[in-house]
Amino acid sequence: MNEPNPAVITTVPTPAVIEEIRPEIEDVRTCYFRFEDPEIEKSFAVRSGQFVMCTVFGAGEFAVSLPWSPEGDRRHLSVRAVGKVTGALARLAPGDKIGIRGPFGNGFPFEAIKGKNIIYVAGGIGIIPLRSSIVHVLLHRPEFGRLILLYGARAPQDLMYRDKIEEWRRTEGFETHITIDRPRPGWTGETGFVHTLIEKAKVPVENTVAFVCGPPIMFNAVIKELSARGLRDDCIISTLERHMKCGIGKCQHCAIGRTLVCTDGPVFTYKQIKTLGEQI
Amino acid sequence: MYILPKADVPRLLDAIAARYELFGPVVDPISGDTLFDRASAPSAVRLDAPIPVNTPKFSVFPHFERILTYRYDRASKALDIRREDLVRPKALVGVRSCDLTGLLCFDRFFLGQEFVDEVYRDHRRKMLIVANTCVRPFAQCFCVCTDSGPAAVEGFDVNLTDLGEAFLFETGSDKGRGLASELGLAPAGEHAARDRAAVVNRSIGLFDGQAVENKAWISRAVNRLTTGFVKPETWEYIGQQCFECGACSFVCPSCSCFNVQDAATQAGPTDRLRTWDSCSFEGYSRMAGEHNPRRPIEDRRNKRFFCKLSYSQSKKYLRPGCVGCGRCARVCPGDIGLPNVVTAIRREITEPKP
Ligand SMILES: Cc1cc2nc3c(=O)[nH]c(=O)nc-3n(C[C@H](O)[C@H](O)[C@H](O)COP(=O)(O)OP(=O)(O)OC[C@H]3O[C@@H](n4cnc5c(N)ncnc54)[C@H](O)[C@@H]3O)c2cc1C
Ligand code: SF4
Ligand code: SF4
Ligand code: FES
Repeated sequence: MNEPNPAVITTVPTPAVIEEIRPEIEDVRTCYFRFEDPEIEKSFAVRSGQFVMCTVFGAGEFAVSLPWSPEGDRRHLSVRAVGKVTGALARLAPGDKIGIRGPFGNGFPFEAIKGKNIIYVAGGIGIIPLRSSIVHVLLHRPEFGRLILLYGARAPQDLMYRDKIEEWRRTEGFETHITIDRPRPGWTGETGFVHTLIEKAKVPVENTVAFVCGPPIMFNAVIKELSARGLRDDCIISTLERHMKCGIGKCQHCAIGRTLVCTDGPVFTYKQIKTLGEQI
Repeated sequence: MYILPKADVPRLLDAIAARYELFGPVVDPISGDTLFDRASAPSAVRLDAPIPVNTPKFSVFPHFERILTYRYDRASKALDIRREDLVRPKALVGVRSCDLTGLLCFDRFFLGQEFVDEVYRDHRRKMLIVANTCVRPFAQCFCVCTDSGPAAVEGFDVNLTDLGEAFLFETGSDKGRGLASELGLAPAGEHAARDRAAVVNRSIGLFDGQAVENKAWISRAVNRLTTGFVKPETWEYIGQQCFECGACSFVCPSCSCFNVQDAATQAGPTDRLRTWDSCSFEGYSRMAGEHNPRRPIEDRRNKRFFCKLSYSQSKKYLRPGCVGCGRCARVCPGDIGLPNVVTAIRREITEPKP
């Protein structure tokens, strides 16, 4: 029998207190929280790209990405209210408690991509899991080559993390391109779907990795464009979502073929995704 | 190895029941079916009964189970989370080799992967297992084709083999040896191993033609499934036959998919329940916004057969998932139990192409 890994909370959710809630976009809120137990507050260590299972007491549990960077960032979750449990979370207020299990999953491969150019391509709330990676990479800016963010949303009011994006826009050495689907009154930035930015931004493909995250239609369009320019499948990195019930590789709900998204992922290269043998 | 005279079986059962919650094959008085169930009294355990219609897996993986209970009061923010240790030591007596192999698959899967499943571990660690060699196969059985019977080779505290007058009492652990000395059993003579082998060989010989014939075909099917050579038409046929009832998953000794739900009670605590689930259900992979990556039933249905037969899936059990108990074939209303699926794959290979 394997020994339980004490660094991961596998079974009993550990209580956390919501400190602040900020509305992001319609139906999406960011909840800042701290763990009730000061020991756990100190010891809870995550890798960018992992996820946790969040309990809304009385409603249930759901899988959620970690938008915060392990270094110098407040702990928070950004959640879209889409159903029973995420809907119940949206009704909580600062001071309320939630439960956290985790952290689970593999995380982003930062070691392997040192020295490379990085392109982040995000559609809508697909920016949530990428946020943590961006914060990390900016903290270690000299270790990477060109840094490019291509971010698209339906309309200006659908852009997530507006303060952060403003900060990134002003960050030297970070090329940011933001687009909305169709022209709107008052919008002076780019318009069109996010994959069209790939051309406009003149993204490199040599010595480059792309992090792509967003809804399936956007994902496919972006991959097509990147591949056409010659970016290799193993240089395209994404995180997958699947119905999840346990996070620890037991319920089997997140299986894609023989791969379990919760323990083998959620971060995969496009090369791996192509061999999973099922629709994503 | 020891000898347990048949007249001493009640003493064995009493000794076990004194320390454990006793589970074993019992005969349902109304239907006449054998069920693996909690024994109302030690004398209810029937070692001579046919293979039970259900598997003993519920004893480590209950149909539904409270894995947590909590109370959260929003007004005062008081939160109380408990994980009670509800697990009393259980003894499974009269476990057939296929079902024991299923439990060993569970052990490797729940305890041996990256994470330990604590809920499962708690059920399992206090358990006593007394296996029972099948001295004759039952109509549905094909464990000889899946390397899981008719006699258990590992994973038991005690294994009983009916030698006619008495049981051969093999011990597989200190717990088993403790029981033998507590009951004052006589050591088996020098012929014991030979007698056991003769009984097991006779049993193997009794498996009907179909099971033995399937032996070669199961490995062919394993091969085809693993390499992805099963035709889409075959999966389509299998998918169309399926009623999505989930019965195959529920009777299978190695199916362990579960769902988790929080059930709030009026003004009381909330229970976090773990319940059996089946990959044949439409909601199994459904995500928010009605996005379902496995919508067509053929897609979902073939998952079960990959799980039972493909090499790549068997890494989680260190053997194929199917243990040859034949139960899915008995219960499936669509007639696509595992043996028939093997037959469908076999037809692909043997029938001349049009
Ligand atoms: C690794 C991972 C990271 C995620 N990160 C985020 C995030 O940062 N922000 C965010 O808003 N959402 C995220 N999601 C999606 C989120 O988990 C679902 O929206 C949520 O489970 C829906 O639950 P519900 O009860 O509100 O919805 P319902 O529709 O009522 O859900 C019913 C059940 O289906 C399952 N389910 C439904 N949709 C999903 C889904 N998309 N993914 C997994 N299981 C689902 C859940 O287990 C749930 O119990 C993530 C999902 C995964 C797998
Ligand atoms: S797949 Fe069918 S025959 Fe094989 S172990 Fe499961 S229930 Fe038994
Ligand atoms: S028992 Fe048969 S009909 Fe029912 S879910 Fe299983 S394969 Fe489908
Ligand atoms: S979420 Fe349960 S196995 Fe992946």
